[in-house]
This record gives sequence, C-alpha cells and structure tokens, in this order.
Amino acid sequence: MPNFFDLNVHAYPETEAPIEELLRVAKRYGYAGIAITNHDESVKERLNSNFIITGVEIRANSVLELKRKVTLHWGKVPLLAVHGSDDKLNRAAVEDSRVDILAHPCGEKGEGELNHVSVRYAAANGVAIDFNLGALIHNRRSERARILDKMRETLKLVRKYNTPMILTSNAHSIYDLRAPQEMIALAALFGMSKEEATSALCDIPQGILEKRWKKEREVELLRRVP
Amino acid sequence: MEKGTGGGAPTKSTMNVLLYMPPSLRERRRYLLFEVMCERELDKRDLLKEIWDSIYSLYGDVGGGEIKLRLIEYHNREERKSGVGILRCTHDKVEEVRASLACIHSVNGARVGIRVIKISGTIKGATRLRR
Repeated sequence: MPNFFDLNVHAYPETEAPIEELLRVAKRYGYAGIAITNHDESVKERLNSNFIITGVEIRANSVLELKRKVTLHWGKVPLLAVHGSDDKLNRAAVEDSRVDILAHPCGEKGEGELNHVSVRYAAANGVAIDFNLGALIHNRRSERARILDKMRETLKLVRKYNTPMILTSNAHSIYDLRAPQEMIALAALFGMSKEEATSALCDIPQGILEKRWKKEREVELLRRVP
Repeated sequence: MEKGTGGGAPTKSTMNVLLYMPPSLRERRRYLLFEVMCERELDKRDLLKEIWDSIYSLYGDVGGGEIKLRLIEYHNREERKSGVGILRCTHDKVEEVRASLACIHSVNGARVGIRVIKISGTIKGATRLRR
C-alpha cells in the first residue's frame, strides 16, 4: 500500500479542529501523514508522532511582505507553503526556490491564476503546484465549473513542463478530509489520470518533504540551519 | 420449471418463470459500502436527497440516470457520530459515484464526510467483514 500524504490541513488554533482529531480521522482514512499548514504561524505544540508534519502557509499582500515572511520562516519548518492569490504574488512565490508549495493557485477565490511562465519557473525552482480539491467539495454550479476549467488549464501546463503537483484537501475540520481514493476520484473530474493522481498523493509529497527537486546548494544551506 | 424461456411467445406455464430476468440480461451491479462521519444523526431520506443533488450537480440528469443509483440501506452507528450504508450502481460508474459522494459537505445543515469502504458485486460481499 502506497504512503498517502495530505500537505495542506488547517488545525487549531486557526480553526476549531484539534490536531488529535485530525490525526485520528486521517489515520482511519489511510494516510501516512498530514501537514498542518496554518496561515503565517507554525503549530507550537510538539507531538511525538511522525504522522504530523509541521508546516506554514504564508499569506502576504505584497511581494515585499512575501519575501520577508519567507526569510522569517525558512529553515525553521520542514514545509513552506505560500497562499496563492493574485498573479504577481504567485509569480513571486514560484521564483523563490525556498518555497515548497504554492497552495491553491487555480483561482479558487476568484482571483489570479498561473500562466505558462510561472509554471516553468515552478518546475525550475522545485515549487510544487497544489490542486485544492476542497474547492470542488465546497462550491457548486457555475463557481465549480469555473474552478474545474482553471484546474484543467493548469494541469495542461503542469504536464507540459513536468512541474511537481500535489492534491490537497485544504481541510478546516475533520469533515473536510477525504480518503485517498476519493481524492483520486475528485481529481478525475478535471481530467487527471489515476496514475498521476496517485503519484500526486504519494511520491511527490514524499519528494517535497525530502527536498528532492531542490538544488544541492539550497539543501546544503538548509542543513546548516539549526 | 421449464427450460427455454429466452425465445418464443410466453406460454401460460412459462409466465411465472419470466418474472425473473435471465442472468445474461441482468445489469451488472456494484454495491458500495460507505461510511459517513457526521456532526449529528442523519435521516436516511435527507442523505439520499443530498446524494442525488450531488450527482445531478456533477453529471446532470442524463449522467444521473445512467448511474442507476439505489440506496439499499443506511443506519447510524450508536457509539460514535458516524453511520454506514450500502449503495447500488452500475458496474462502470463506481468512480462517478465516488466523486459524487466525496463532493457532499453537509446534509441538512450538519457537516459530513463520506468515504467508500468496500466495493463488491454482491451485497453479501460488501458486508462481509475483512479478515
């Protein structure tokens, strides 16, 4: 059985979902690990479990703020994600090789998208593009159709440039988590094949955690950080 | 019991046999055992309505008809806030049903999360315990 990961989950104190509950449900669903990526703040409490990966999702209003926050968190958490918003910030995030994940960049909030240049930069810098399936669960009708269209477009670019891609639930409670097989079925809605979806849930998240797509120099620098 | 129910006009003696569809003409079905995590106890009818809503929203009336969905059984579990049930659909639409179930986020105002535990060709197979 492959190791499934969900690298974008929001927990207490940002949401009402306690980490223990999320852990229980995710284990039941067959995950090998979930990453808690609260906005702008990593989870303080230490859990004696390899199951929970501590991460942070950076939310910024300007490129300068983004750079500042990336510098602040880099090396302190094993997973650095950036909250995707408008075109300019998405571009800035994929140009920074310290970033691991660009979370929900497919215009889920009605703003911004990725163009071919950004996706190419992402491939070069080892920034994974995230497909947020939570948006498909929580939206209906025209809004969902628009998101599916955007995701299809992004998927085309990601395939072209061979950029790492991941599937996440962006869960805010235990009811937002979905089992891996359900995630694969949801990914099929915008044309992702079963093999691609499986690797986007297993291999690629594992590679992100091992910093497989980062250049040697970056990884070396990261090891030196206490 | 008389043989040869397939051809010819039905005679009086074959009428009662004809009530059953011959196995070769029967639909191939799949039974899905699913589990619901819910905030509070769910009504079976509300759940079925929400499943249909989700299917129509994703696949429309035509796609919804092709799935041939039936809710065979659903009951809430006593000890925890969850429930289990069995759905029936045609054998080649399992992934569509799975996606529709995954898209359900609330039933009658209560937040839910649904996952498919097991898929089988028979009800017996779907409900048989593992190990």
